[in-house]
Amino acid sequence: MEPLSLVESVLDNLPVAVFAKDANDDFRFVLWNKKQEQITTVKASKAVGRDDYDLFSEESADYFRSVDKAVLKRGKLLKVPEEIIEGKDGQDIHLRTVKIPVIEEETGRRLVVGISEDITEQVQARAKMESLNKNLLETNRELQETQLQLIQAEKLESIGRLAAGVAHEVKNPLALLLLGVDYLSDGIDPDDPNVDTILKQMREAVDRADRIVRGLVDFSSQRALTREPVKLHAVIDEVLLLVKHELTRSNTTVTVEVPDDLPHVFLDLSKFEQVVINLVINAVHAMSESKKPTLQIKAHSKKLDGVVKNQGARKYEVFRSGDPVVILELIDNGCGIESADATRLFDPFFTTKATGVGTGLGLSVARKIVQLHGGELQVIDRSDKKGAIAKLILPTKIDTGKVPVSSKSSK
Amino acid sequence: MARKILLVDDEAGFTQLLKMNLEKSGDFEVTIENDSMKAITTARSLQPDIVLLDVVMPGMDGGDVQAQFQSDSTLTNVPVIMLTALVDSAELSDGAVAQSGSSIVLPKPVDLPLLLRVIDEATGEA
Repeated sequence: MEPLSLVESVLDNLPVAVFAKDANDDFRFVLWNKKQEQITTVKASKAVGRDDYDLFSEESADYFRSVDKAVLKRGKLLKVPEEIIEGKDGQDIHLRTVKIPVIEEETGRRLVVGISEDITEQVQARAKMESLNKNLLETNRELQETQLQLIQAEKLESIGRLAAGVAHEVKNPLALLLLGVDYLSDGIDPDDPNVDTILKQMREAVDRADRIVRGLVDFSSQRALTREPVKLHAVIDEVLLLVKHELTRSNTTVTVEVPDDLPHVFLDLSKFEQVVINLVINAVHAMSESKKPTLQIKAHSKKLDGVVKNQGARKYEVFRSGDPVVILELIDNGCGIESADATRLFDPFFTTKATGVGTGLGLSVARKIVQLHGGELQVIDRSDKKGAIAKLILPTKIDTGKVPVSSKSSK
Repeated sequence: MARKILLVDDEAGFTQLLKMNLEKSGDFEVTIENDSMKAITTARSLQPDIVLLDVVMPGMDGGDVQAQFQSDSTLTNVPVIMLTALVDSAELSDGAVAQSGSSIVLPKPVDLPLLLRVIDEATGEA
């Protein structure tokens, strides 16, 4: 074994590359440790006494020289976060380097000492991670697009189910209009007190038909998730207009206790109507055997309390204690939820309805829409076991960090 | 003497305009009942010559109301015409009427000349 000085021994066993250049001798290398040999694949015996232009490409050498001069000019340490040299087989080697200006005590030589760490693997891992992350984002975007398509498909299904009822609701004002036309077509007697009433009723009928048709058109529109501040009461009014026929036919009494002064909720109106329509129709179906079907729609605002991370309402990592929310409840007096079904309620295609009555997509899509709003949907049995409660917890402020950003919907 | 019509429908505007149309000729006297739950009471006191009955109504639907009439000895022979948007006029040929049990069913919107003709036939005035 060749005897080495302590310093030489330490230098050659360091896990980092160390080199030094003599600024008084055209920046020729005077030190080149073992690790530097491994990284550059140039032996110390070949490197010492030569400069960067002898060992590296002109472009690299120009760059190293400019850094060396800058270090000497500054007179203090300089960190180079990442520099690239060409490896043996043409592959890039990424280095993190620190360069230090030194004046040698014994000789007075001005040296530039460099310490380099090979970070190639880290850089490659980072690039790979960035690529994976990009793929993940793309997959997530595709997933969201698919979700929006699924939501739209379920909505079309809802429209199909509502269509007969909506047609019935439009026929009523049409029937009134026709009666008005019949009455007036015999000639208008200016002294007839009925004429004013008839014209007023006809105008109201047109407005009513227009509202119903417009409601259906707005509801069926296909858009990306667009949230805006909305009064919950307005949503409930629109929904009740679209499901009026179903409620009347099933003889369902509806009570609405949604205060006008509730804080605005940030909703995509058409998608949120889809949720409430779903819940109302579910309640109507659940109450088909009830003697006096009654649906209570209630809302109140509060600050969430006692919500602990990963517990209770925090399970979707949506809410924290103190978050202002609006809680909307639809309480029916129907058959309630069989305990065996409770865990499967939100499973796609799970339904307890007869074939042809429901696809089993309603609740799973409803919950997805609520989650896209940063909210939560729970469906639970009433504590008195006399029906079920659909409970919607909705944030009253937008936190973009919590709400998934939707992509454009595809046609 | 004007024939007495009982008109049972929850749509107040519709009943108001139908009453105006039917009473225009002076042949009829129309009583409106917008609450189907009260239809039987109103019918008992009115003893109408004919009943025009909506089908989809809150409270009691037209079928239930008709069943009440049929089980009442004073009303069981009163002819009933159902008016409903559930039947589409496009499904019936011109001037045709549908039957539901002993009731005649006419689609809404109502074809007034057809309704008058059916009323005349049902009340024996044709």
